[in-house]
This record gives sequence, structure tokens and C-alpha cells, in this order.
Amino acid sequence: MDGKIKIHKGLDIPIGGAAERRTSDMRLIKTYGIQPSDFVGLTPRLDVREGDLVEVGQAVVCDKNNPKIQLTSPVCGTVKEIRRGERRAIEAVVIEKSEEQKSWHRDPASLQSREGIIEAMIDCGLWTMVRQRPFGTIANPDDNPRDIFISLFDSAPLGPCPNWAVNWQWLAAGLNALSLLTDGKVHVCGREVQSSRFKVQGSENIVFHEVSGPHPAGNIGTQIAAIAPLNKGERVWTMNPQDVVTLGQLVTTGDYRPERLVAVTGPAAAHPQYYRITPGASLGEVLNGQLSSKDYPKLDAANGFGTRIISGNVLSGRKATLDGFLGAYDSQVTLIEEGDSYDFMGWLMPGLRKHSFSRTFLSGLMPKNWFTVHGSRFMINGFGFNFNTNLHGGVRPLVFTGNFERVFPFDIYPTQLIKAAIIGDIDLMEQLGIYEVEPEDLALCEYIDPSKTEIQAIIRKALELCRKESV
Amino acid sequence: MRRAGSRWQAAVSGLRGFIDKIKPTFSEGGKMAWLQSTFEAFETFAFTPNTTTKQGAHIRDAVDMKRSMITVVIALMPALLFGMWNIGWQHFSLIGGQSSFWACFAFGLVRMLPLIAVSYIVGLAIEFAFAQIRHHEVNEGFLVTGLIIPMIVPVTTPLWQLALAVAFAVVIGKEVFGGTGMNFLNPALVARAFLFFAYPTHMSGDSVWTAAKWWGTDAIAGATPLGEMMGGGIRPSASLLDMFVGTVAGSTCETSAIAILIGALMLLGSGIASWRIMLSVFVGGGAMGLLFNLIGANSYMQLPFYYHYVMGGFMFGAVFMATDPVTSAQTNIGKWIYGLLIGLFAVLLRVVNPAYPEGMMLSILLMNCFAPLIDHCVVAANIRKRKKRWVRAQTVGSGQRVAGSNKDIK
Repeated sequence: MDGKIKIHKGLDIPIGGAAERRTSDMRLIKTYGIQPSDFVGLTPRLDVREGDLVEVGQAVVCDKNNPKIQLTSPVCGTVKEIRRGERRAIEAVVIEKSEEQKSWHRDPASLQSREGIIEAMIDCGLWTMVRQRPFGTIANPDDNPRDIFISLFDSAPLGPCPNWAVNWQWLAAGLNALSLLTDGKVHVCGREVQSSRFKVQGSENIVFHEVSGPHPAGNIGTQIAAIAPLNKGERVWTMNPQDVVTLGQLVTTGDYRPERLVAVTGPAAAHPQYYRITPGASLGEVLNGQLSSKDYPKLDAANGFGTRIISGNVLSGRKATLDGFLGAYDSQVTLIEEGDSYDFMGWLMPGLRKHSFSRTFLSGLMPKNWFTVHGSRFMINGFGFNFNTNLHGGVRPLVFTGNFERVFPFDIYPTQLIKAAIIGDIDLMEQLGIYEVEPEDLALCEYIDPSKTEIQAIIRKALELCRKESV
Repeated sequence: MRRAGSRWQAAVSGLRGFIDKIKPTFSEGGKMAWLQSTFEAFETFAFTPNTTTKQGAHIRDAVDMKRSMITVVIALMPALLFGMWNIGWQHFSLIGGQSSFWACFAFGLVRMLPLIAVSYIVGLAIEFAFAQIRHHEVNEGFLVTGLIIPMIVPVTTPLWQLALAVAFAVVIGKEVFGGTGMNFLNPALVARAFLFFAYPTHMSGDSVWTAAKWWGTDAIAGATPLGEMMGGGIRPSASLLDMFVGTVAGSTCETSAIAILIGALMLLGSGIASWRIMLSVFVGGGAMGLLFNLIGANSYMQLPFYYHYVMGGFMFGAVFMATDPVTSAQTNIGKWIYGLLIGLFAVLLRVVNPAYPEGMMLSILLMNCFAPLIDHCVVAANIRKRKKRWVRAQTVGSGQRVAGSNKDIK
């Protein structure tokens, strides 16, 4: 039943700074934060106050609209601070880890049924890692999803791919547990290198698909579209592979040990490598030593001058600061130089070190050397590319069309969908397939757009509009 | 070398310093705030801005509208330079004098520069004014339009007529719809059509295509290949090779197929223009020409189909005008249909319409009007497919469906 999927359209951006295969243990980090804004559509209600003692798996914040959904503490410790932003919105609940750590435990025998697994996942907080499509919200435990999709690889620029560190047994256990949660299939997508290591015994509902091709081949949205596109009214669930491993550990041993391998990447990272951390870790502590001393004095936590810290990848990650925390769903931090400088006649210069999907710069004519790491392609050319956060031009009306289609492997007309999203026409968006995409699926369109339109923000807003309308 | 480099850097940073110093005067609240858009246009001309990404993708492709437009302008250069030389060549051939390459070129340059200057000055003045009123940045689209307009008119076009045509094209063809990106007709062709219908005596006949005297025209000028065919000729008097190279009478810069093809290579190589549109225009024109060859009712119909490619403005229209991303079809399938129909109608209008020698202009304008309809039909097919899939899912029921595998996403 295993199939092969080949993605033809897309783009691998040749940015430098991939993580080396080296892991440092950073589970000793002191400060952790829970950021309700990481969760789409969640209206936070505080369950703790400053100074409270919390344990692993204890609810800290819950969703006003569905109190079953709770964000829990990843460690035992004290609530140090409730950080608030504009209009007193909860920005983060900061927890300081205590010396003594207890683990969350449940008898594994109670974790062999759908109800048991869901109840335990909700209780320990692992449930928040299950997201539904459409809309990208935390899944509703009362739903029966059509299918569950897991992508074992990250094709985004510098996306982490720690195959060597995956506990394949726990992964298989986690997938078997997931297969109990749906009447449909559990579709697992991986690269060719992963197919040989992937052996799951047990449920027949687990299907492995071997995916090849450029980014966004690793995006869940691309894989759903290739395997069984989402129709209006249908729901599917998805989880990051590392969380499936955590789930596998939970159902095997009964212990909830939230842990994540995080890649610190990017051209501005001093030593791109992996770190083993507990989710929600303080970025300031994770990135200790990663920002070269040259940049450090310039680094202003408030506006991040000098180097931009991104929780996630350069295409769809979130801008973060040193006093912030790793995003709830992120297993990558990217460091990249801020491009807040002027470029003399930039529109006319040959541009040997500028990257463009179009071939309007001399860099496009340089010989290319591609090499493959963990199934993702990388490129070096003689001059190397200089990537920074400069917008490279002014914002204009959407003019150049036909390019989006070349990096968007869906049976959807991206230009028309974006235009429908701009005018907020829900009927038209539904007809054009808004439910099949997440903002990250159009990130490459945003990257190559010469009009510099903020496409991901437009799609996020449109999806929110559709979600509120459908409730 | 190093000293030159540091001097250059000093000059650049000096310019930057000067711009930063005068910037407040042109910003909101400054004395010259009414010139803000103009100032910004010149500032971003000199320096790509230092704006960084705020949300969404943190890195962006280096290409922007300025780069895209300047690529098209560079692609127009071979045709423009050849056109300048050809203006002189036609002139000296007509008056019978011998002349060097540089004399021809200099003559053409002198005739061409006023046309280009008038086009840019009138057009950009209107663009800047509209940008200022709307508090927008000035759009780069006119860099291309303003150069194309003088390239597709007869060399003898009076400057005041050109100025009127440019003003009409920018205001009625573009700005009333909201500016670049919102217009549905190609502004350069709107200017050409304006001239054609408002001043027909200056735009047709045999005399307008060659600058016989320094200013104005003379009655003994040679006919264009299209004019000869309209007049009932068996073949144009110029050879196929002459027409391919471009040493024939015609609009200023549209005669040389080879110069335009060099531009086409630049456009396709840089990925700016759609190869689907370009190719399908040629296929459509060729198909219609072949069909006429089969009918063969008169000498024009018997003209081998490939003659149409090198006569008149077919090549220029296919490469530089049909591919305008704003006014062409926007879906890939739509682009094929759009291009095919442009080619078909261009040859159809040439051969069977007694009023207009050149069918390309009207054909592209016609398909500009139909491009949204073509796209609508293509998108509607996608919508129907999605709806069918939804209906099927409803009837089968969730969980029962069999997921497809071994799929190839093209």
C-alpha cells in the first residue's frame, strides 16, 4: 500500500548554515515560557498566578472556548512572571525550573484505547501538539478526523532532519496509538533515506509514502493535496514527528517526558548544531554562544538589531527576541543578519551574491553545484549567496503572475486564491480551495513575489475569517 | 584600483548622506511634502531601500518591480538601436545619398530621441502626479510603456500627437483603473490605437514610414511590406531576409525580427516573460496563415504563412506586448488560449480586413479585453473539479474512501 509521490514544483533556497550532526544537551536550561499566541484561535484563560508552584503536565493556561484544551507546564517549578503585551494580552507565562523534578506518570495499560489515549494526552498537555486542518488550530478531541498525516521530514530552508536521533520504536508506537484515533488512515510521508528505517508493525491503517522533490514537499499541506485533498467540511489531524515519538514513549512507558531536538541554524549562527531541550526553553539560554561577540553588543532584545532571531525557518518562522521562548511547534531556530542597509542602485547592479528565482541577476547564470543532505538539496555557487532580511524593493500591486504556479504544487490557482483572500470573499475562497492550504504553503510565493505582498498574512487573515464564519 | 574603489565608496556614502539630509523636507510635514512621491521615486532609484521584512517570509527574493522592468528595457535595446540605424538607412536610401553606418545611426538617433523624451516626460509627469495624489510610490511600469510607445509609431509622428496619445494612454488606459496592475488594456497599445483612430492620415499611407526630410514627410517614400500586400501585391518587394533583418520601412523599431528575437531571448532567459504566450502567438498566427494558404483565394492568402512573422509588428507584438503580465491571461492554460487567439486574429485581420493593414495591435487589444473571461473559464473548471470531489466525498462517506497513491504532481 506504500506509494511514491514526486513533487515537481517548488524551490530549495540555497541558504547556508545547516546544523551539523552534533547534539548538546541543554535540558538544564532554567527558564521556560508558554506563549498562547503560538496556538491559532486559542483564547487564553490563566489557571495560575505569579509565584504558584507547578508540576510537569499541570495546566497553566486553558482555552476559554473549550476548557478541555489546556497548555501545561513542561517542567516542575515556579511561575516567575506573567508577561503581558498590548491590551494586557498574555504574551507568555514564564516558569523557572526547580532543582527537583518529578515526572508525569500513568499506567501504560490504561493507554491502549482511544478514550484512554486522548484523556491522557489532554491531561499532560501533549494534546496541544495535535493540530487540525483546515485552519491549523488545536484539534478538537471530540472530532473523528478523516485521516491523520505525519511528515517525517522538513524540507524548509535548513530544516532539521535528525534521522540518527529518532527512536524508531517509539515512533512506531506513537503511530500505532494515532491509528486508534481515526477511522481513516495514518499517512506517514518520508524521504527515501527514511523508508528503509521505517518499519511499523501493528495497525494496517498506517501507510508510508516516499516523497521526493523540492520544498514544499515536506509541508503537510503539500502531502495532503498529493494523497487525498481536503474537501469542505472534512478534518484531518497532524502532528510533528518528534511529538509522535513523545506520544510513543507515553503509551509505552506511561511517562510524559516532553523533549525536543532543536536545530540552531542560519548564516549568522556561530556553530549551527542540534540541542536536546525541553519545549518552551528560553531562547536567550539556548542561543548562548551562538551569536558572535561582534553582534552581541548590538543586539537589542526589543528590536533585535544586528541579527534576527527566528523561531522556526526563514520562510514561515516567527520573529523572536532573546528574552522570548522557542515556539510551541518549532524544532528550529534560524539566525540571520538584518538587512537594514541601503544598496546603491541595487536594481541595476549585476548582483553576483543575490538570490532570485527569476534569472534577472548575474548569480542566476553562475554554475550550480547541488548536494544532498538528509534528502534535502543544498547548493553552493562560486560566490555564495548573501541572505538577509532586506525586503529588496518597494511594495507594489500584484503584477507578475505565472511565477507563483511554479513553486506551488497544489491543484489550486494561487493568484486567484490570493486575490479572493484580499477581498475577503468567503464563497470564492472556498471554491478556490482555501481549506487545503495553510499560510506556510504559500510562503514560497511570498518569497519570490516581486510586488513584495505579505501573502502569508493575507492567507492567515482569510483562514481566520472562514473559521469564524464556520463556527 | 583600490583608491578608485574607496573614492567611489566615498561618493556613494556622500550621496546617501545628502539624501538623508534633505529627506525631512520632502516627508510628511516638511515644506516640500507635496513632492514626496517624486522624492521617493528618485531616492529608491539611487538606493534600494533599507526596509526589512516585518511579517511572513523573513528573507525575500532579490527581484523587485524595478529589476523586472529594467530587464524588459534592456531587452528592448537591440530593437531600439537597430530601429535608430534603420531610420537613417531608410532616409538615405530614399534621398539617394551614400552614407556610413554612423551617419545612419546618428540620423535615427536625432529623430528618435525627441519621441522618447516626449513620451517619458509627458507620461512620467502624469504618473508622478497621480502617485502624489494617491500617496503611493511611483510605479515602475511606465519605464517600459514610455519606451515602447515611441518604438511602435511612424517616425514622422508629430510630437504633439505623441504627447496627446501618451497622456490618453496613461490616464484613460491605466490611471482611471487604479494604476499599474489594475489596467486591462496594454497602455502602449492604447496610445498606438489612439493615434491610429484620431489621426488616421498621419498613421497610414506610404509616406509616413520614412523620414524623408528632416521634419515632415515627402510623397515619394517607399511602402511597408504590409502596405504592399494590402495594395494587392503578390509578395512584398523586400526579400524575406531583408524583412528578417529589418531593413524595410515600418514603425520606428518594429521592423527587425532578429533584434526583437534577441530581446525575446533575454526575456525568456530571465524568466520575465511567459514563453507560453510568446510561443502560442506564433503557433496561432502560423495556423491561420496555413489555413489561408489552403484556401488560397487571393494573392494575400497565398502568401506563405511565415511571411506574417517578419512583416509589420507581429514579432514585436508577440514578444513585448502580448506578454505584458498585467493585461494578459493569468492562468497557464489561459495563456495558451490567449496567445493562440492573438496570433489567429492578427493574421485574420491582416488578410481579410480591407481597412487596417496591421492586425496585431487590434488583435492584442481585443484579447486584452477577453483575457479575464478566458481566465474565468479556466478557473471555473478548477472550481467544478473541486465541487465534484466534494460531492463524491459526501456520497462515499468519511473513512470509506480509498486514498490514492503513486501520484505524480505535475
